[in-house]
Formats: sequence, C-alpha cells, structure tokens
Amino acid sequence: MTSAALELVHLKKTIGKKEIIKDLSLSIEPGEVFGFIGPNGAGKTTTIRMIVGLISITEGDVLIQGKSSKTSFKEAIQEVGAIVENPEMYPFMSGWQNVKHYARMMSGVTKERMQEVVELMGLEKAIHEKVGKYSLGMRQRLGIAQALLHKPSVLILDEPTNGLDPAGIREMRDHIRHLAKEQNVAIIISSHLLSEIEQMCDRIGIIKNGELITLQQVGETENDNLLHHLQVTPMNRAKQILHEHLQLEATALDGRLSFHCQKEFVPNIISKLVENHCAIYELTTAHDSLEDQFFELIGENTIE
Amino acid sequence: MSSMLKLIHNEQLKIYTKKSTWLMYLILAGLIFTFAFSVNYYGVPNEEYQVDNWQQVLQEENQNLEQEMKKDKFKTAYHSYIIEKNNYYLEHDIQPAAYDAWNFTGETSEIIIVVGLLSIIVAGGIVANEFRWGTIKLLLIRPIERSKILFSKYVAVLLFALYTLLFLFITAWITGAIFFGISEVDATIVKDATDGFRSVPLFKDILTNYSFPLVDLLMMTTLAFMISTVFRNSSLAIGVSLFLLMGGSSFVQMFADKDWVKYILFANTNLRQYTAGNTPFAEGMTLGFSLTVLIVYYVIFIVTSWIVFKKRDVAGQ
Repeated sequence: MTSAALELVHLKKTIGKKEIIKDLSLSIEPGEVFGFIGPNGAGKTTTIRMIVGLISITEGDVLIQGKSSKTSFKEAIQEVGAIVENPEMYPFMSGWQNVKHYARMMSGVTKERMQEVVELMGLEKAIHEKVGKYSLGMRQRLGIAQALLHKPSVLILDEPTNGLDPAGIREMRDHIRHLAKEQNVAIIISSHLLSEIEQMCDRIGIIKNGELITLQQVGETENDNLLHHLQVTPMNRAKQILHEHLQLEATALDGRLSFHCQKEFVPNIISKLVENHCAIYELTTAHDSLEDQFFELIGENTIE
Repeated sequence: MSSMLKLIHNEQLKIYTKKSTWLMYLILAGLIFTFAFSVNYYGVPNEEYQVDNWQQVLQEENQNLEQEMKKDKFKTAYHSYIIEKNNYYLEHDIQPAAYDAWNFTGETSEIIIVVGLLSIIVAGGIVANEFRWGTIKLLLIRPIERSKILFSKYVAVLLFALYTLLFLFITAWITGAIFFGISEVDATIVKDATDGFRSVPLFKDILTNYSFPLVDLLMMTTLAFMISTVFRNSSLAIGVSLFLLMGGSSFVQMFADKDWVKYILFANTNLRQYTAGNTPFAEGMTLGFSLTVLIVYYVIFIVTSWIVFKKRDVAGQ
C-alpha cells in the first residue's frame, strides 16, 4: 500500500441514467498541492462533494489516510478540512462565533488553536464583526480558517482565490505552499483559473465530462523543440545562416523569424548570428502555457 | 454525550443570535400586555363580588338581568347563562374569587396558539435555512453522523417551544400581578361544561389549559420540521403547518359526518374531548384510539425526516 494522503479508487457517480463521474482514480501524497482543473460542469465539485461525503458514492471508494469514507466515514472525515464552493457562513453571527460554532463540532480544538487560525488568515481585526458585513475575500479567509481548525492532513479548497484581490491571492498562495511544506498537508485546489493554479500546484489533473483526461507535473514540458521568435536584421541573411550552419528551417512572419529548436541550441545560434554581423534585437521562447494545453485538451466545453 | 450537548448548544445559539427570534418574544410580550390591558379596560371580572354581602350583589344582578331579558328577547341566551352561573355560586355558597395574576395566567393559555406559530417558524427554518445559507455543507463535513445533527436540531426546536411557553407563562403572571394583584393560587373557579357548571381548583385549571394545547404544538412543530427537512423550503414548511394549525379543526368539522375523519390528525389533537363533561368528536373514538393515531402520525413525521436527511445528496443549489 502507498502512503497516499488521499486516494480515489475507481470513483463513479451516476444520477439517474447519467454518469457524472466515470471511473476516477487518483492518489495524492502528503505535502503535495494538487490542482484540479476542468470547465464548469466537468465534475470537479461533484468529485469534491463525494470526497467530503456530501453526496453518496455510486461505485468505488475514497480513502483518506487509508480509511474508507464509505465504511468509516467519521474516521476518514476527521482528517479533512474543506470549503466546498462558496465559503458560506452564518451571516448573523460574528466571525468568531462562526469559528466557535465549527470548533464545537470537532474534538480537541482549543481556544488557542482558534486564535491561531484567525491570526494565520489575518482576520484579527474583523473577527468580531458580523459575517454579513464581510467581503467575499474575508469570507474566503474565514472559510479556510474554519477548515484548518482541527489540523487536517488533507485540505480541500474549492476555488480558494475566488474574490481575493491580487495581494490576497499571493498571500493565499504562500499560505498554501507553507501548509504543504511545513505541515505536510495534502492540498487539493479546484479551479478553472489556470494561471493561478499553475503557480500554486505541484501537479495538475484535468477533468472533462467526468473523466480525468490528463495528469501532469507542473513545469515538466521543458526542452522539447520549443518555438522561438527572433527579431533580427537583415532577415534574409539570418534565415540563410540558420539554414546553412544550423540546419534549422525558419519562417518569416510579422518581421520576425520563427523556428523550433532545443534550448541548448540557443547560445550557439546567437553567437553564429553575431559572428555574421546580424543585429539581434530580441529572442523569445514561446512557452506553451498551461492554458493553451488546457484548451487543446478540453477542446470545446460540451456538457453531455 | 457531551458532543451532543455541544451540537444542541450550537443550534440554540443559532436560534437566539438571530434578531428575528427576539422580535418574536417582543410580539408575544406585547400580546400579553394588550390582553391584560383590555381585561382591565373592560372591567376586571368578579370585582363587584369582593364585598361581604356578595350574595346580595349576585341576587340583584340576576333580577336586573331578568328584567332586561323581558325587554329584549335577543339577550336571552347570554343573560340566562350568567344567571345560571350566579345561581350556581349562590347554591353552593361559593364567593366568586377575585381576579388575579393566576386567573389571568390561566386565560392567557389562549395565546399558546401564538407559541405554536413561533415554534413552527423556528422548526420550519431550522433545516431549510442551512440549505438556503449554504452552511449545510460545512455542517455535514464534520466527524458527526447526520442523524445526530438532525436530532440536535429537533431537540433545539422543542427546547425553543418549551422556553417560549415558559416565557408566556412567566410574562403573563408578572403582567397579571401588575394589573390585577396576586391572591391565593388555591382558589377555585366555576367553569361550565356540557353537563352544567362545576367548581374547579384554579391551579388544576391553569395546568389543563396549558397542557392540552401541547399536543397540537408538538404535532404541528414536528410537521413543520419534517417539511423543512424534506423540501428544504422554510416558507412552505411554515405556510403548510400554520394553515393546518389554524384550519385543521375546521377541516375535520367539515367532514364530521364521514367515517374516515376520525383517522385525520386534527380530529385527535384535542384530547380535551375525553375529559369529563365533553363528548368525543366522532362515535367510537376513545383516548386510546386518539393516542394511537397521534403516535402513528408522529412516527411517520420523524422517520420521514430522518430517512430523507440521511440519504440526501447535498448538491448545488
């Protein structure tokens, strides 16, 4: 057996005759930040709701620290802290009352721990105000504070940066990385905002129509025949040099030369061009961003 | 067990942190005050009999009433009722007791229907609101069985009903004491029943006045709780339960001649029909029959709530 913090074993969900989740298997290690990406209606939230026991599992199982959430739900869910969709709190109670409310539902949460999570999320000043007056970002922080109360080993955050300003997003990212690194918490983040997830996660899973279509380590795709754009004069001469000396086929486009080559070749190309008195203004590597890959993989977002 | 106490504590906090709950108590207090004020305004009952020659006062009143009856036939029914009552006092040599805080408290049992109304509002919201606020998600992802969470909510509703009832009783007594003063609780009052007047200890009268409506209160609150749990819609739960609380008895009256009517909940909620001097609603109905019907309905309400709540998939709104 692996020491996975969270394992989805052939997870299936059928509502009526419709298969919402089709045979999803996945395992997340302690200390790993896993990004769960997919278009709306792909089954992200359904999967998360199954993990936390809000909806029943049609087939398969969820193992949290090796404990089945089907047969020993209490032991399994004990390890989990979560926010599911929007961080909804009781609007007529203060932030502190909300935190206390959830603390009472779990064993072993001390007052010190409550203060600790409030401070961690930077809510000291607002904590005694009514949650109804909170901004979405503040509620998001309170949501995470409540999820951390019992020191879970698996943290599930559904759209955690939703409603946060850029500074808040950055702070959140630091929190998440800190939790994963220092406290070895396995973290699942779902989102449809890829650029954010990319910077936070170690690994990303893309889900479409209830199927996991790809699993990818972040920052993996380096080195393979990357596309380069070169702004250079004179262009024709440069093109020729590339062809003769380096056997690279370049195409002229928008006043730039574009060609594919491996990263290691780049210094060589530059020195060759300089030797031959070509003036280089700019050389850029076009990173195929995750976003491009995402759209490539997802294609059109059709909801079955 | 302490975890259950914490859950109940949580539920109660949620009920009592809301301002609307305190508004309910304010309305209830206002109602009691208005009640006391109008009793005081239209004349405190039995005040004129608190003299040594009360027999004479009663006789004079009877003579006046008889003379009025001769002039105005329409007043016959009500006047002859008073005359009969007065005669009962005279025959049994009972001085009509002074009206005081205890009498007033006994009469405010009429307001228990408002306690029912408030309990229905709380019961109708207690599960449905969690769904409306979206907080149900954070509530159910704890290491606690769903049935325990539902139980804590049900207990919180019943406690709310109990506290509100106590609030009614105590506020009524204090208001009564301010308006009418306090005399002994061991007084007796004369009540009419279908087979004539009878003398009842006041304390027993208050007790029965307060306990019989509890059946209705419990059943309707539980019904509202069930609708709240099943349909996750507080307006529906409150609306239906309130409608039945108010209109249930007239519904069964409408179909009083039908055979099946005795199986309807509302034909059985008024257990007073089995006390001395009253006749049961339909032929063949006994206290045991009614209790059985009540228990069957109660079990259906509870079991439905629990099964639905346990099995429910909490998906998006």
